[in-house]
Amino acid sequence: MSIVSESAADAARTALSGDTILSVKDLVVEFPRPGQPTNFRAVNGVSFDLRQGETLGLVGESGSGKSMTALSLLGIVPAPGKIIEGSINLRDRRIDDLPVNELRRVRGNDIGMVFQDPMTGLNPVRSVGSQLTESAMRHQNVSKREALEIAYHALDDVGIPAPRERLQAFPHELSGGLRQRVMIALALINHPEVIIADEATTALDATIQAQILDLFRERLSVATMILITHDMGVAAEICDRIMVMYAGRIVETGTIEEVLTSPRHPYTVGLLSAVPKFDIRRPKLVPIPGIPPTAEDIVRGCPFAPRCRFAESKCDDRPALEYTDGRLLACWNPRSATEQPQ
Amino acid sequence: MTDIANEQKPVVPAIPKGRSSGDAETIPVTQQTIQTLTKRVLELLFLLMFISTLLFFLLRLTGDPAAVLAGETGDQEQLELIRKQYGLDKPLIVQYGVFLYKMVQLDFGSSLANAQDALGLVFERLPTSFTLVIIAFTANLIVSIPLGAWLGSRPDRTGRKLAATAVFIAQGIPGYIIGLLLIQLFAVELRWLPSIGNQGILSWIMPAITLAAFQAPQVVRVISANVAEAMREDYIRTARANGAGFNTLLWRHALKNAMLGATALIGAQVSFLVGGSIITEVIFAWPGIGRLLVTSVQTLDFPVVQAAVFMIAIFVYFAITMTDIVFLFIDPRLRRQRA
Repeated sequence: MSIVSESAADAARTALSGDTILSVKDLVVEFPRPGQPTNFRAVNGVSFDLRQGETLGLVGESGSGKSMTALSLLGIVPAPGKIIEGSINLRDRRIDDLPVNELRRVRGNDIGMVFQDPMTGLNPVRSVGSQLTESAMRHQNVSKREALEIAYHALDDVGIPAPRERLQAFPHELSGGLRQRVMIALALINHPEVIIADEATTALDATIQAQILDLFRERLSVATMILITHDMGVAAEICDRIMVMYAGRIVETGTIEEVLTSPRHPYTVGLLSAVPKFDIRRPKLVPIPGIPPTAEDIVRGCPFAPRCRFAESKCDDRPALEYTDGRLLACWNPRSATEQPQ
Repeated sequence: MTDIANEQKPVVPAIPKGRSSGDAETIPVTQQTIQTLTKRVLELLFLLMFISTLLFFLLRLTGDPAAVLAGETGDQEQLELIRKQYGLDKPLIVQYGVFLYKMVQLDFGSSLANAQDALGLVFERLPTSFTLVIIAFTANLIVSIPLGAWLGSRPDRTGRKLAATAVFIAQGIPGYIIGLLLIQLFAVELRWLPSIGNQGILSWIMPAITLAAFQAPQVVRVISANVAEAMREDYIRTARANGAGFNTLLWRHALKNAMLGATALIGAQVSFLVGGSIITEVIFAWPGIGRLLVTSVQTLDFPVVQAAVFMIAIFVYFAITMTDIVFLFIDPRLRRQRA
């Protein structure tokens, strides 16, 4: 069951230059549903390529499968969830079926991940330095002394003032913004090829959020990155390309300009209408009615149809992710290119 | 009192120097240790005063020591004589004053049973009791911490579920039953170990296991629950995402956090060990303070009871203080509070 047709994938590949670093094909992550015969598909047939130097935005509401997609790239989907279909290739190497001890060499070394909540994401009883050196010593085969030097530079690189002293600090002694910088330093310390930032700015104050976004822009503009966010504004700031996810599927992808200026999928249109804009006169935000399907719901047809103003009878069949008027979409009834977002 | 305070002091230099954070708002761990100790010593003085007073009046309510001393054959004249000799003829409040005055000088009087110095009797038995408690406590931690961590690391596995059930059942078995079962097996049936008194190194095994059993199941369960909780925390996911293996996650990340809650319990449970050691010493006829205390209560030997309770109170307090200090070292959030 290939969601992306071969020609579509080929076309997408040529749309942007640069070597493909990470290639995900037909990824399915399932969780058992207690007391029910069928499993819940948190990620349902996701395919995408990530090219060198590209920042790919993964956008969608909570529970749309963004984080599960990211966790499955590192093979750390929380039990009892499992990858049951698909493949993940890092350059030419397939990594989703690696034995655990080899997979551990990928984690933090080839792919670094920044998590959402810097308050709980660092170990409260271990110093910043010891958490950084642990990772450096594991992957770079260096002594404790060398690792401390690496850790010092890692903190310096993410703009932490007085990095030497901060090595001895404990997480509770740092502000939220500094802690998130430590999390970023931890993700970058082994110079991974791919960086995944999972809602890396969501838990922060607006001003700190802006600082962290600046950090991403300045230090990571050439990095190959997947940015997961539910905030279209954040995605617009730093992403080159956007994938919109809904109920475990990709429903629309395109360059940042395409998606922001002419969204085609009704869900993307809805997401954009729910973002506050200060430069237009009409201040009213338009929420998307209803809620996404939960783990209990069994979805047939288009998962967005129950909330979609444009749903028709054919939406009872599931639309595939296909090229429609030059855009990759999963919708029977896309909005026209000229139509303004609501 | 000063002697005892001095005995506790060596704790301070034994503690390694804390790292200074370089932050002006925080105070070094050594200074906090000294502050904690000073506070504890002052609290201890009040506590000892309170316990001694309580004990003094309770003991006076339970019986007449003169009658015990005179024995069943003693007549009224003998009783009067004994009362005069021990100052028991004076009003209770005067007796209390004299008692306090002497207690401040660490003079608890002589044993009514054999005229030996009461505190001397206690000190004589202190090392045996103390060593037994330390051995049991250490053995308990050596077994309970890794066992609890193992049980909590993957609580859904079948082997661990069975082991956790066994620990749960063990928690329901009173420590003295375990002592009696040990005697039945190793002393009566197998004749491997001596069951009574201190007859050399083998004699320590069963009392130590019995005493450890008073505390161990609870420690295992608390550590296991804390580790299970810690393994679900975000920082474990962060460490996993950086390639940490299961052992690193468990021993270097989760256990350290799990120990925070467990240390409070272990410290509070030292009082269980004291209670347990009294029972254990009676079961194994162990020549320690616990058995001395029980015998002295039975014979209404007030001075010895008072001296023994006095020492036990100091010991329990000492243990609680040590817990506080251990906390300072394992929890950085306590360590660097503003002064």
